[in-house]
Amino acid sequence: MSKKFWQQGEPFVWATGLALSLILFLTMLLLYVVIANGLMVFWPKQVALATLSDGRQLLGEIVREEVIPGGQAKRLQFKIGNRDLYGLDFKWVDASSITSMSFPQNVQVLERQEFGNFYGFLSELEVKGLAPPATGSNSLEQTIAALDSRKKEVSLLGKKIANLNRRVEMIDHRLIQAHYDKEENTPALAALQGEKEGLKTEFEALVGILNEKGAALATNQAIFLDANGRTKAIPLVNIVRSYQPNAMSVLAKCGYYLERMRELFLDEPRESNTEGGLFPAIFGTIMLILLMSVLSFPLGVLAGIYLREYAKDGYLVRLVRIAVNNLAGIPSIVYGIFGLGFFVYGVGGSIDQMFFPERLPTPTFGTGGILWTSLTLGLLTVPVVIVATEEALGAISPGIREGSQALAATKLQTLTRILLPMASPGILTGFILAMARAAGEVAPLMITGVVKLAPALPLDGVFPYLHLDRKFMHLGFHIYDIGFQSPNVEAAKPMVYVTTLLLILIVLLLTSTAIHLRNRMRQRYSVTDV
Amino acid sequence: MQKLDRQFIRKVRRQDRVATRIITLGGLLVIASVIAILVLIVRVTLPLFQPAHASMTTNFSLPATTATPLAVGIDDTGEVGFLLDDHGLFSFYRIGDHSLLTTMAAAPKKERVLTVERSKDNVFTLLWADNSITVTQVDFRLLYAEDGQRTVKPEVMTLEESPARQYPVAVKEIKASAHEGRLTRVALLANDQFQIDREVVTTDLFDNQKKETFSLLIDEALPGMVTTFLLDAKGDTLFAGTDNGSLLRWDLRDNTSCRRTDNEVAVPGRKAVTSLAMVFGDISVAVGDARGGLATWSQVWTGEGKERTQKLRQTHVLTSHAAPITSILPTRRSKSLFSMDATGLVNYDHMTSEKHLLSLDRPLNLFALSGQGGSLIGLDQHRTVTVWGIDCPHPEISLKTLFAKVWYENYDRPEYVWQSSSGNDDFEPKFSLIPLLFGTVKGTLYAMLFAVPLAIFGAVYTSQFTTCAFKKTIKPVVEIMASVPSVVIGFLVALWLAPIIENTILAVILTVLILPLLFVIIMSALKPFYKKPSVKTFCHSYEFLLLVPVIIASMALAVWLAPFVEHLVFAGNFKQWLYNDLGMRYDQRNCIIIAFGLGIAVIPIIFSITEDAISNIPPSLSAASLALGASRWQTIWRVVMPSASPGIFAAIMIGFGRAVGETMIVLMATGNTPIMDWSIFNGMRTLSANVAVEIPEAAVNGSLYRVLFLCATLLFALTFIVNTGAELVRERLRKKYGRY
Repeated sequence: MSKKFWQQGEPFVWATGLALSLILFLTMLLLYVVIANGLMVFWPKQVALATLSDGRQLLGEIVREEVIPGGQAKRLQFKIGNRDLYGLDFKWVDASSITSMSFPQNVQVLERQEFGNFYGFLSELEVKGLAPPATGSNSLEQTIAALDSRKKEVSLLGKKIANLNRRVEMIDHRLIQAHYDKEENTPALAALQGEKEGLKTEFEALVGILNEKGAALATNQAIFLDANGRTKAIPLVNIVRSYQPNAMSVLAKCGYYLERMRELFLDEPRESNTEGGLFPAIFGTIMLILLMSVLSFPLGVLAGIYLREYAKDGYLVRLVRIAVNNLAGIPSIVYGIFGLGFFVYGVGGSIDQMFFPERLPTPTFGTGGILWTSLTLGLLTVPVVIVATEEALGAISPGIREGSQALAATKLQTLTRILLPMASPGILTGFILAMARAAGEVAPLMITGVVKLAPALPLDGVFPYLHLDRKFMHLGFHIYDIGFQSPNVEAAKPMVYVTTLLLILIVLLLTSTAIHLRNRMRQRYSVTDV
Repeated sequence: MQKLDRQFIRKVRRQDRVATRIITLGGLLVIASVIAILVLIVRVTLPLFQPAHASMTTNFSLPATTATPLAVGIDDTGEVGFLLDDHGLFSFYRIGDHSLLTTMAAAPKKERVLTVERSKDNVFTLLWADNSITVTQVDFRLLYAEDGQRTVKPEVMTLEESPARQYPVAVKEIKASAHEGRLTRVALLANDQFQIDREVVTTDLFDNQKKETFSLLIDEALPGMVTTFLLDAKGDTLFAGTDNGSLLRWDLRDNTSCRRTDNEVAVPGRKAVTSLAMVFGDISVAVGDARGGLATWSQVWTGEGKERTQKLRQTHVLTSHAAPITSILPTRRSKSLFSMDATGLVNYDHMTSEKHLLSLDRPLNLFALSGQGGSLIGLDQHRTVTVWGIDCPHPEISLKTLFAKVWYENYDRPEYVWQSSSGNDDFEPKFSLIPLLFGTVKGTLYAMLFAVPLAIFGAVYTSQFTTCAFKKTIKPVVEIMASVPSVVIGFLVALWLAPIIENTILAVILTVLILPLLFVIIMSALKPFYKKPSVKTFCHSYEFLLLVPVIIASMALAVWLAPFVEHLVFAGNFKQWLYNDLGMRYDQRNCIIIAFGLGIAVIPIIFSITEDAISNIPPSLSAASLALGASRWQTIWRVVMPSASPGIFAAIMIGFGRAVGETMIVLMATGNTPIMDWSIFNGMRTLSANVAVEIPEAAVNGSLYRVLFLCATLLFALTFIVNTGAELVRERLRKKYGRY
């Protein structure tokens, strides 16, 4: 009996089951980590006031609790913020040295333009030119809200100045062009120079006003006390958001959460990308995928149709088919380096020499940009589209083709009226898979044009609207950059988790749509086949 | 009606023809461009292996004079060449029209130049007949006229002058070097002694200059007669070669005493050393001998512990000549050497790669290279001047430097090294691809060890032992898993998993041991019941769910046991024990992390393809086996798996291909240090990560840029071969079972 048990291999069946459960366990674990960490980032955490055994006090969020390696004692990690006061955002404290811990209601948390969060207690408000602030727990919020219109005024001025700057830049380009063309002393040139001077004076005047208003705004400040009673004056303009987490109701917390989500999707990043929103990165990712699709899908479908419908089946076609199948397995970094060598330095360099010689040696197209990146990614995803198109066409039974041709339809008519509509779900699946792959690739982007912080979007309201030569931001690269190259990795982690969650959601959404489509298509064909 | 139809048909046919052409053209274009990728990448790497090329630009004869030429030179543009004769006169010639441009004297009113020593770019140390020394520099200025015309204007400057000095014995040869206010002059006397004179000018805080002179005599017995000697550019080291093949080295750093540090037999057969030169960087010395042999020597650490000393050792042997070597000319841009033998034949070799770059096609008497190394001027015994353009962009790269052990300067032995950049200027980049290939193989291997058993067993279970409903859920889940971006996996394993594993490394190892143990125990417990119908209906198809608690239990057990085991077996600290007793360092980002990360990336791929392969085996096969009384495992193991094995093999190959090329995970989760060590507790650098790390810094079309393209080519080739093999296997399988 016992021998039979092992001989018949029952334990091995269980062993294969163990393998599957390990795979699923690991997958679920990783997904759980991303989702749990990513979703919790924006939920306001309680701020604890801990009194240590030496009498000092500590104010901060409890981030982690762990057993000290090699011992039984526990220690806590506090996020104490106030980088401008303490130098470090995080602090480890032995649990044994904490004598008491409380969660005071009036703890104020500030999100600031610089130096990260501030944790403290509001002491007084110094406001000029505004109605005296109402007293009470939310006087700070009210005052900040009252300053809003003036803040908007200043930021509008800033935008105006940036606009002027851009116009000066364009004039500069034209001047360089004129200089290159050996154009001298023409009236057009003089007009340009005059315009530039005019813009410059306007620019200086605006900068003067901006500085004045900014300085006036900065005099409005609030005095805060930290845990140990040190005072700190913070200009109200530097406060992005302020809240009292310990006093917040669940509903208020939900509101705060939604506000942070809005910021995430619509705002620009702050503090070397570790705070603020992801708008440029989301925009860059979507734009990249769209550009890539425009370039790759038609070519891929064309090649797929050729291989399946037009090419004569032979040794060569078989070889090409194997080659195309394999190209999907070529490492993405190889495509990246090809994009760099061929598109950026080869094609881009030639374009610069032909069309923008006056700007050299400053490259226009001869450096990384969204056009080159999307071309590279297009090349990378072409095999996916080819394979999907081919398989979708191949799944259609030959009887349908023959029937159509027997009714005197030409090949093109058969293709456009019969085969393509039937294959469209399959081809669509290929498109979606290609988009999912493009959304997740980072290595080829890193060397063909993605940057950690792009000054302008590749699409804006300035002529020629679509700036294909611009560098851009990308969610995937954002993860790599802030997770691995930011000076303060610990403080950046929450943002990395959020970005990761967002990227995973995009990719999983695309992939599961594709799989769903494919399954539905399979069902349809299994019916038509019969 | 009839007419319309005909028109319509014509139109349709025309459309069809045009469409056929467009589709064919487009299809072929896509396929061609895809093939062009490989061609283009390879094309960038090809110049690495192109041989050096010397193209003769011009040659012309000089008018006959009584003066003997002692040295020649040429400017960087290749437009002006010059000749220094024994009257101390520089004659500048235009290379273009062979005309005399100007003549300039190195020093006024001097008799005759005995020897000329060249150092740096066109700096000449002239020893006059009265034993005085003049150090002059020839400089070329580029002048641009209004119309953009460029002219080269030569200038001769005197850098140092040292008055005549009387020696007690006749002087054979004098060499001098000037470096940071220190003029060192070494005279070889007729009785084989060295007279060393040194002038040191020091400037104090108040700009007062103080001049000191030192004098030393090396009168020790030498192993043979000195045939040639060499002073390095700083005047710190003196080398001498003797007629019986000895190479001697003295340390002259001290002003008041000197010490002989080395006495080595440098030439086999004790033939004479005929020529010495410092290789660029002043670390290695090139030794030419009477047999025509050319080798380089440098100081190498030898011995162990306290005995450890630096000794001169032969590091490289270069192409030999047929006749004794008369002069060696190092280039100033790379560690390459020109060497000339007694018959006037000139060879061009690179020291580190030991690559023979080229030989000049005509014998010469004197020759020189321009500062940037682009032009070479030569003068033969018939006073004919020849100018070559030298094209040698990558002298340091050869198959040997890329794939074999290379003895670099300051290393004790030949080694595989990847080090592409450094702080200082005369740094020599080291491009061995072996550590990168090693890292790629190491990472992939550990990942496959982790992924292959899990993926294949999991796929077997999914396709054969679970219910249809589960199968329909698990397959898409695994496919979705395959689409998780690698940057996400990389971030998770590097920033979330790595610190956790670092803190619980022992528990991780214990889990690996406890899990199978626990599994066997549970199986043994199950043995009496497994045939019972109630157990069967309860367990069958749900084994994998029932086993999840086992995994969690073994992990919990391992975490609980770890401190005790650490205390009992590893003296309280596992990592310390690892370092002290096994000499292994524990890096936070190591192969365990990589195995997890890459494993998670490739498991879905292997899983999907294996599952497809197994599912495509006709059910009649397993039905027959089961009907004959085989158990479900026996059927799988003996019947289904052998039939599906080509497909499973293909799955492993494709997984391997993906692991080899994976960039982001490796980039994030290893330390990216190019070391060669099999230890699972430290990291590595792979080909793909190397490209990603280095390409932003690489100068376009420089050696590093091309080497990185070579890395990409290797990756391309590796994955393409593996994938094509897998694809062929799969195609055969498909044909065999007639599915798809």
